[in-house]
Amino acid sequence: MSFAWKAAGISYLKYTQICARAVRNALKEEQRLIAQRRDEQGLKFAKWESGKQGELKPIDSAMGNVSV
Amino acid sequence: MSAARWYATEASASTSGLRLSFVLPHQTIYKGVEVQQVNIAATSGDMGILASHVPSIEQLRPGVVEVIENANTTKKFFVSGGFAIINPNSSLDINAVEAFPLEDFSPEAIRANLAEAQRTATSGSSEEERNIARVEVEVLESLQSALGSK
Repeated sequence: MSFAWKAAGISYLKYTQICARAVRNALKEEQRLIAQRRDEQGLKFAKWESGKQGELKPIDSAMGNVSV
Repeated sequence: MSAARWYATEASASTSGLRLSFVLPHQTIYKGVEVQQVNIAATSGDMGILASHVPSIEQLRPGVVEVIENANTTKKFFVSGGFAIINPNSSLDINAVEAFPLEDFSPEAIRANLAEAQRTATSGSSEEERNIARVEVEVLESLQSALGSK
């Protein structure tokens, strides 16, 4: 089976992410505001050395986040 | 394993209906609830699932999942995509990323987002942006037709 998104080089995870976002954005105001909180998920890390927190770095760009 | 083959055995008499579990990462909509029939929009085509259905795994399109609970109650959800797993014991597991009752959608938002996505699909600045917009157009058109036939 061939899918247009697959041919365009979009992974299944990214495809479902785009679909889910499109669905959330089509909701009525009330439900949309609640649903959109699920949209952005990222990961940050910081290295702790001798009891002090190092620089906080977001590492979501490598996770296939869609920038719209 | 013996080489003999059998037909799939029917579900035992105590579980005459189809047991549906319909879950999202953040919510459980149905958990082992006995229903009459479930209609799904699979990538291989639209299908209706009754008890004792042939076991199968189906990928869901962005589309409507219709749950016929009994003769009087039918509920329609729009799912963004996921999988339906039809087990041999008359149980059906549906996993989706997002699912909402049709009445939760705003026709105005769909129209506005669709126009925006269509514009980006043809005149977006990068190929990636246009491809993403094409997926969005597909989702929103499906949503629009789902609402239209409510």
